[in-house]
Amino acid sequence: MPNVLTVRGLKKSYGAQTALAGIDFDVHAGEVFALIGPNGAGKTTTLRIVATLLTATAGKIAFFEHDLCKEPDLVREKISYLPEEAGAYKNMKGMDYLHFMANFYARTPEEEKVFVDRAVAITELGDRLKTKVGTYSKGMTRKLLLARALMTKPVLAILDEPTSGLDVLNALEVREIVRRYVKEGTSVLLSSHNMLEIEFLSDRVALIDKGRILDSGTPTELKDRHQAKNLEEVFRSSLR
Amino acid sequence: MKRFANLLKKEIKELVNKQLIISLAFTVIIFNFIGQVSKKEVRKAIGVQTISALDQDGSAASQALVKGLESVRFKILDQSGKTKEEAIEAAKAGESKLLLVIPKGFGDSLAELKPSEIETYSFMRSFSLIGARGQVVVQSVITALNDALSNDFLKKKLPDMDTASLKKPIKSKDFVIVQDKMAEGSANDVAGMISQQSMLIPIVLFMIVMYSSNMVISAIAIEKQDKTLETLLTVPIKRTSIISAKMLAAGLIGLISAGVYMFSFKGMLGGIGEEAAKAGARAGGGAALMQKLGLTFDTTGYVILGLSIFLAILVALAMAMILGVLAEDLRSAQYMIMPLMFMVMIPYLISIFADINTVSLPLKIFILAIPFSHPFLVSQNLYLGNYGMIAAGLAYMLIVFGILVVFAARIFSTDKILTMKLRFGKKRGATA
Repeated sequence: MPNVLTVRGLKKSYGAQTALAGIDFDVHAGEVFALIGPNGAGKTTTLRIVATLLTATAGKIAFFEHDLCKEPDLVREKISYLPEEAGAYKNMKGMDYLHFMANFYARTPEEEKVFVDRAVAITELGDRLKTKVGTYSKGMTRKLLLARALMTKPVLAILDEPTSGLDVLNALEVREIVRRYVKEGTSVLLSSHNMLEIEFLSDRVALIDKGRILDSGTPTELKDRHQAKNLEEVFRSSLR
Repeated sequence: MKRFANLLKKEIKELVNKQLIISLAFTVIIFNFIGQVSKKEVRKAIGVQTISALDQDGSAASQALVKGLESVRFKILDQSGKTKEEAIEAAKAGESKLLLVIPKGFGDSLAELKPSEIETYSFMRSFSLIGARGQVVVQSVITALNDALSNDFLKKKLPDMDTASLKKPIKSKDFVIVQDKMAEGSANDVAGMISQQSMLIPIVLFMIVMYSSNMVISAIAIEKQDKTLETLLTVPIKRTSIISAKMLAAGLIGLISAGVYMFSFKGMLGGIGEEAAKAGARAGGGAALMQKLGLTFDTTGYVILGLSIFLAILVALAMAMILGVLAEDLRSAQYMIMPLMFMVMIPYLISIFADINTVSLPLKIFILAIPFSHPFLVSQNLYLGNYGMIAAGLAYMLIVFGILVVFAARIFSTDKILTMKLRFGKKRGATA
């Protein structure tokens, strides 16, 4: 499988503080690649760099054959990013928000309609999309944002804690939506604390701590390598 | 362009909300209300005023004085027959603003060419300037009577002499020269009129800068507070377009808001001024003098002044954009506006007390380094033909704007947009 994303020797420092100490990983076409690790491990920093929000201190990132650092505008056309603590414009109606975001990607009004229809289907919010985002529950807002991230069928979706703050049913639904879009060709780079979620969603996983990747592979490979029953045990074992 | 229009539309929609419309409507209503109330008060003050008079003399001269007051729209309450104390009490209890006491012997003293005295007692029931106007008018009536009486004396004693020449042996004929134009008039009057005209510029600037900058700073701060900025920064639109859309939307709404404010403000002052003008509070000879001296703006003058104010607004918006990045949330954004406000106020405050062109060199450099000083100086420099200074001022503002925009674009293109911040109050925990 070709690489959608190739990351080599990625470093990031904030002054004297090192967030990433040089990491390497690849995201293949049509797969879900997950970064798992504790708070402050460097997951969000990695995702923000790939999403063109932060600049790397050192290292190389290639989006297909394009240098992400040199051609961020081109890369933004093909990716979408769902931050962990994202919000939507509270004074906008849900439907207006989807149109507003779709307008940045669509080349024609017809294409914009396709994007919005797709998003409406993902949210399953029905008539609530005619009301202001400020009145939505956390789960509704998260689904709206996920719909925004997937409606264009991006080449690479970068999802930071996609089910953060959601109840069990909503979280399950979100995972199913993500899997469905992966089947339709979108590659996903995601981060999570939730090892069960990662196990359910991911094709390959990288364990990250203190800005370094400790180990990576498919969940089955990792469990075999560490003789563990689940990814939580894998993570504990790799920390040792 | 389509993406820029999409963002601009959203920015304008975000700014034009119920709060803005209510606040603008409130401004119009409150200024109109103040205007109407002030108009009534001015009308009252310059209309028929009641004063009490105690004429203890009863001479022809004392009656002439009272008649003189009646002729300048005073309603006189006669307190004759009372003692001074009784008259004071009676006037105090009534609506009189002033008690005039003409003592016995007033007429005789005048006839004998001896100084005569009258007493005035003003009842200050409020401390407004308009409220104290009664005494000013009485004094001017007394001055006029003094003039007439002294003319009479001189005529009697020196019938062959010109009384005016006797009273003022030295006459001054004042001329003002501005560049190559000369007109008869007082330099003080010209300076007063120019200062009155240019007083409007800082108010206009202050209002527009306050409205627009506040909108830009808040727009960025709200994006940060509501966690929408990260998403916006990853959509396919150039960072410079994000800056421009926010600045343009804030500039447009700021201009409209300032326009509404100015219109209401002018309406309020106009209401008061109209009444004052009716009363002849201010003679209209100044305009002709300004015309003769060439101290009026032609179309080019207005274009240059407008351009200067426009550039100052652009500079303010670019500064606000950078300050907005430093704000963590809406609350801290309110603090961020303060430095900008001071920068606009400094040249105005200094211009009240000193002539910017003649202050010491370090202070002059300091003032000229503030971009907002230049719109203040444009009108003066236009009048004085200092076109070099005007061009330099415009160029300076353009350069400052360019530097600020490049700086803002750089911030928006780098990590700084997410990492730069000034925190006020409690520190928050760091995120992963």
